[in-house]
Amino acid sequence: MSHWIILPIILPAFLAPFIVLAARYHIGIQRVISVVGGLALVVIGAGLSWQASDGTITLYRLSDWAAPFGIVLVGDRLSALMVLLTAVLAFFVLLYAIGSGWDNRGRHFHALFQFQMMGIMGAFLTGDLFNLFVFFEVLLIASYGLMIHTGGTVRLRAGVQYVLFNLLGSTLFLFALGAIYAETGTLNMADLAGRVQLIDPAATAGIRVAAVLLLMVFAIKAAVVPLHFWLPSSYAEAPAPVAALFAIMTKVGAYAIIRVYTLIFPPELEAVVGLHGWWLLPAALVSLAIGMTGVLAARQLDRLVAFSVIGSMGMVMVAISLFTPAGISAALYYIVHSTLAAAALFLISDLARAGRENLELTTQPPVAGAALTAALFFVAAIAMAGLPPLSGFVGKLLILDASYQTSAVVWIWAVVLGASLIAMIGFSRAGSILFWKAESLPRDAGAEAPARPPALSYVAVGGLLALMAAHTVLAGPATGYTSAIAAQLFDPAPYISTVLDTPGKLSDAVDEAH
Amino acid sequence: MSLFLIVALPFLGALLPGLMNSAGRQACAGVTFTVTLAALIGLLTNLPAVLAGELVTARLDWIPALGLNATFMLDGLGFFFAALILGIGLLIIAYARFYLARDDNMGEFFTYLLLFQGAMVGIVLSDNILILLVFWELTSLSSFLLIGYWKHLPEGRQGARMALAVTGMGGLAMIGGMLILGQIVGSYDLSVILQNRDLIQADPLYGTALILILLGCFTKSAQFPFHFWLPHAMAAPTPVSAYLHSATMVKAGIFLMARMWPVLSGTPEWFVIVTSAGLITMVLGAVIALFKHDLKALLAFSTVSHLGLITMLLGTGTAFGAMAAVFHILNHATFKCALFMSAGIIDHAAHSRDIRRLGGLRRLMPVTFVIATLAALSMAGIPLLNGFLSKEMMLEEAQHTVLFGSPYLVTVLATLGALFSAAYSFRLIAHVFLGPVRDDYPAKPHDPDPGLWLPPALLVVPVVVIGLAPFLAEPFVKLVTASVLGGVAEVPEAHFKIWHGATPALTMSAIAVGGGLLLLSLFTPALRFWNWAPRPEAKRIFEDIVIAGAVNLSRRVTQGLHNGAFTRYGAIMAVTVVAVGYHAWATGTLAGPTRAPQATNLVQVAGWLMLVAATFGLVFLHRNRLLSLILIGIVGLVVSVGFVFFSAPDLAMTQLTVEVVTIILLLLALNFLPNRTPVESTVLRRSRDSAIAVAAGAAATMLSYHYLLRDPIAASISEFHLANSYKGGGGTNVVNVILVDFRGFDTYGEIIVLGIAALLIFALTETLLSGPVRARLLNRKPDQPRAGNTHPMMMVVLTRVIMPVVMMVGFFIFLRGHNEPGGGFIAGLIVSIGFVMQYMASGFAWTAARLRYPYHGVIGSGVLVAGLTGIGSWFLGKPFLTSDFTYVRIPPFEKFELATAALFDLGVFLTVVGAVLLSLESFSRLARRAHVPDSEHPMDIDPSREIPDPVKVGN
Amino acid sequence: MELLVATAIGILTAAGLYLVLRLRTFPVIMGMSLLTYAVNVFLFASGGLTVGAPPILTDATSYTDPLPQALVLTAIVISFGMTAVVVMIALGAYLGADDDHVDDPAPEVPQDSGAGDAP
Repeated sequence: MSHWIILPIILPAFLAPFIVLAARYHIGIQRVISVVGGLALVVIGAGLSWQASDGTITLYRLSDWAAPFGIVLVGDRLSALMVLLTAVLAFFVLLYAIGSGWDNRGRHFHALFQFQMMGIMGAFLTGDLFNLFVFFEVLLIASYGLMIHTGGTVRLRAGVQYVLFNLLGSTLFLFALGAIYAETGTLNMADLAGRVQLIDPAATAGIRVAAVLLLMVFAIKAAVVPLHFWLPSSYAEAPAPVAALFAIMTKVGAYAIIRVYTLIFPPELEAVVGLHGWWLLPAALVSLAIGMTGVLAARQLDRLVAFSVIGSMGMVMVAISLFTPAGISAALYYIVHSTLAAAALFLISDLARAGRENLELTTQPPVAGAALTAALFFVAAIAMAGLPPLSGFVGKLLILDASYQTSAVVWIWAVVLGASLIAMIGFSRAGSILFWKAESLPRDAGAEAPARPPALSYVAVGGLLALMAAHTVLAGPATGYTSAIAAQLFDPAPYISTVLDTPGKLSDAVDEAH
Repeated sequence: MSLFLIVALPFLGALLPGLMNSAGRQACAGVTFTVTLAALIGLLTNLPAVLAGELVTARLDWIPALGLNATFMLDGLGFFFAALILGIGLLIIAYARFYLARDDNMGEFFTYLLLFQGAMVGIVLSDNILILLVFWELTSLSSFLLIGYWKHLPEGRQGARMALAVTGMGGLAMIGGMLILGQIVGSYDLSVILQNRDLIQADPLYGTALILILLGCFTKSAQFPFHFWLPHAMAAPTPVSAYLHSATMVKAGIFLMARMWPVLSGTPEWFVIVTSAGLITMVLGAVIALFKHDLKALLAFSTVSHLGLITMLLGTGTAFGAMAAVFHILNHATFKCALFMSAGIIDHAAHSRDIRRLGGLRRLMPVTFVIATLAALSMAGIPLLNGFLSKEMMLEEAQHTVLFGSPYLVTVLATLGALFSAAYSFRLIAHVFLGPVRDDYPAKPHDPDPGLWLPPALLVVPVVVIGLAPFLAEPFVKLVTASVLGGVAEVPEAHFKIWHGATPALTMSAIAVGGGLLLLSLFTPALRFWNWAPRPEAKRIFEDIVIAGAVNLSRRVTQGLHNGAFTRYGAIMAVTVVAVGYHAWATGTLAGPTRAPQATNLVQVAGWLMLVAATFGLVFLHRNRLLSLILIGIVGLVVSVGFVFFSAPDLAMTQLTVEVVTIILLLLALNFLPNRTPVESTVLRRSRDSAIAVAAGAAATMLSYHYLLRDPIAASISEFHLANSYKGGGGTNVVNVILVDFRGFDTYGEIIVLGIAALLIFALTETLLSGPVRARLLNRKPDQPRAGNTHPMMMVVLTRVIMPVVMMVGFFIFLRGHNEPGGGFIAGLIVSIGFVMQYMASGFAWTAARLRYPYHGVIGSGVLVAGLTGIGSWFLGKPFLTSDFTYVRIPPFEKFELATAALFDLGVFLTVVGAVLLSLESFSRLARRAHVPDSEHPMDIDPSREIPDPVKVGN
Repeated sequence: MELLVATAIGILTAAGLYLVLRLRTFPVIMGMSLLTYAVNVFLFASGGLTVGAPPILTDATSYTDPLPQALVLTAIVISFGMTAVVVMIALGAYLGADDDHVDDPAPEVPQDSGAGDAP
């Protein structure tokens, strides 16, 4: 019985209480534990991806009860990829948080960070819808804690809105779950996939509502317009490392949509026919447009980045809403890219704070360590705007290519290309105000130069950008892996049989039960 | 040398100048020069193969799935451009070394320059149109950096952004075009595409693809109507202008048109669009150039005009036109680059580029004079210089071209363009060098040291040589032309000669030159007319109207949408959910109920009425906050009674206990918040909200009723739980067994949520108490009169008596949980309520002093206990949280059952207690006030008692 | 009876949503709790309504569906944690700004043209 697959969940779930219990007052020890844990997660994630790469589907029966009666964790290519991505992102974000000292400006940063990890990992690994809800709550409440870390009135007000909006989301999630259970009498994803097939074509209203309610729950997480309103201020006000970590949170929504709408409600499923493209594609295109418009409109750098996140999620959703193997594959490639890019941009905008009072896009004295920071910003902005040579461009090409055969190709191409033009203009304006116009200010020799950010911060950002470069250079293998994922998703039979046919405790009693 | 290396060298080399920066300017320039030279030599090693007419290729798969591969090819055309880029690059680098000022960051400059160079070489060597796109956009980006190199100059910054926006836009359009092209052919490899002329031109999407690709080319090569960005790019340092904006980058569009010539040209669309755009650009550019006073602006517009000329030649779609184009590309590169460098020299020497402030430099700067004059005369198309030859061919081609059915249109316009081009060339010579020496130059002009004048001098050499001996250039030009034509047409026989006899073309250029001289003599009146004539200012239109307009619009949209009003966001969300839900419902099919409704009795109706009354009461009285608390308490109560009624005792107990704790918590909070909610929202707004609320409520009702009367499509999985709860979980309370065993993992997550909540509340309290809020809290005046006895005796006594009972009850509930309603969670809540009552009775300090357990510890240990229980099963080779149980019998007790689940439940219990107490403690820590000393005594009479102020009682 | 429960859910939802759309944090939190009740009852009802058959194994023949109860129990606990948190954060925001509005104060937007901050 191998326990690898549950480690990403319970390792942080043990580290966090341990920190609270033992290292409450020693930031040093907390940092060590966090970093070690982060490294371990990266290793585990890599291991899982390697394990899943040949198409093996790993099943883990919690409490040893067989699905669907107990909760199971399922590790396939998709989950493994998301786990690895999260682990890597978290590691560099952690380095930045430590380097910049953010983690020491309030209490319990590291404990909350670990719990956050646990929630995200759980969401990616679980094979049970209600368990998914529980992990959503775990990652949400941890994110509340991280978001209001170090307090501040503006941040707290943004926090209130963030929490309230997500409470509405959770309520909606429970409604959806109730509907699903009432219709099908089960909660396990694989079992659901089987049961929705049995739905009588003459009575589809119930399951259809359940399906769209679920879709909207995840759309809130994925910040799809018009359910995105929680994102801009909460990401902009959150401490930079936290905002960077949140880059993965929107992807949780995207992941859930991919999972549920390829496994449980596949496009060809008669009962929910017409529900996929109908709302998702237009909403995704609007998100893309709104997001990049926000980039052009932003008056502060952090808001600019927040809106670029909305835009890039729009890109992801456009690709997903094609619901073709090519589309999903492109979406996954882009998910990795946009996670890294968004995180890097949030951290860079924090670097740009050095020597300025605020991140208002107005002429202020040059940023401390401007040369390096500017270079990093330039690279990250290129990536986010989808310009060559970085992964953003590759991802964009993949999405355009995948959508060529669809009926909406004109719309998709027009919006995608137009959006990247707007984004490019927006980023170039911001960059030239921040880093160029500053040079035009008269220097007063008297003032001593403000301190440059510590090296570790640069290391963290550099690491993220390096990963992005790798994602570009190795785009061949990467797209190979993502298309393998897509292939696995569009052939769910092995997944379902692995989950349902593996016996557990008292499985022989199933017959009596039915 | 491998093509990869040739392309890669500049990129790799780009790292060096930055590193060399500290080693001094010489080293910087030196290393850059060496890198470029190496690449050039590498290119030349392929010359024999190219001359032999074979195709040098290199291939490396990058993203096969997409068809985006790093494949390169070298033919005549590619070689020609690559040689141009690298060769002129060498001269530019040498020139820049002396041009840049001391305090310019040379490393930065050369890094950008090499990046650009690499991208350029990449474009001309690409054999894959997607990789070509990559390099294409890279040139836009690197030129953005180069134009903005002097960061402090606003012109530089704006010029850079304008160039990026325009060329970037074209690039994006081209992405679309190229993708379509690739989809038509089924491959993104240029060599494949070039073989499919007919397939492409027959495709319905040919027109779209053509326009999108031409957008890219025209923006890059500054063709009308996208010509306006180029002059503003001249804010860049002169080496950049000379290199990017006359010799290389602006030729990228031309290059691409030549590259795609075999597949795209020859159709009416191509002919009309390209030829007319070229013609307009040529004339327009020439006219504007004549009246520009800034030397570089003049050259910039003349560049625009000459690019138009080349475009026009490619547009005609004839082999001869293509050959003329190639030849003129070569000639233009030489004389225009030399002219730019001379302009830079003059700027350097005289500290002004304004023609009106110059003149008479002939005597002061003889060397520069010679160089510039030769180049300018060539530009004017004077015989014995190379410009003359290609212009002759252009005119020759022009008078054979029929546009819009008129055989004269092109002829006339071409002559006109040539005329103006001659005029501004003469003006350059006359107004800058000739005329009397002035005494009011900004600085004393003088010839610079060779470092600056040698590069242009070297460029003038081919100008003269080709001019005198055209046949030298002929074979090479024809080789290049051949690769442009790509087998679609034969390379024309025509030989390059200075004297073709009295051809119409000769007459035309005679007219041009004569007219040019005439126009120059009439310059002053012409200028007056020009200044009088109204004309659009591109920069203003672009910056202040297009961009500013876009920004303002986007701001209106963004700020209009995201006005920070949660209430609106919530409303939008609710509407969306209801609408989408309804759509799904309406598009589905409905079937009748499968369950019979159960009978209703009066008790239920009574309960329902109570609930409804309380709910509506809450809605209408929510402004009175204390009352709202009581009402919501009632709602909770009814709900829990409902749970009891519908056979869910566990739920009822949980709901009840949670209710109590929540109310206490809200009371503590209310202690700070204002006790009334003012009336703010308008009637309109309230009716809007009620409408939304009613819609949502109706939807919820409909859904629940629908589900309540229908069975699930298959038997619920819970039948398994009922069947195996005792056999496999060792408990008869199925709900509890589900919680701690079947779905124990949920519970694990749930207690972690509680733990996090407590940590969060604690952390926030700490932050608040260490921030500015602290002072306000301490000096807060209560808005309600405080009761005299904060710790009333009766309550204290009562709580003390109850405490042990509470403990016992909690313990009992905990133990029986597995078999009877109860369990760790409920027990935890009960016990913590017991503690909370002590707080309430005897105050914070007194109780805290007697409660020695750090709640953090309790929470942490709780979570750990639960987790460790889970891990324990690993040692039995079982998965996480696998439960096990046994029956033990300790006489004289009854046989009772010990389950690991109970241990897990203990974890739950501890976490709950810790979490609740830590949260409430945090709240009460906020509540402490400066002027109210923490009492040491369990019960007391408040010393700070005061007679209630009637005004305060009022509110 | 089902109708009573259904309408109860509906009324709780409507009232909750209405309060959630109010301007001050306190009524909004009240509304959230109402919504929580509504959804808990909904989730509970998803297993059907049974009177007098608690899922405590005895020698009875039929029991009510225990699974929704377990789910609701989890949901109750989680929403309790959430309520505590939102109350605390709202309190923090109020104490910081001495203002318990949910919405951000209207921003004082300097109506400059885009060129105003032209880089």
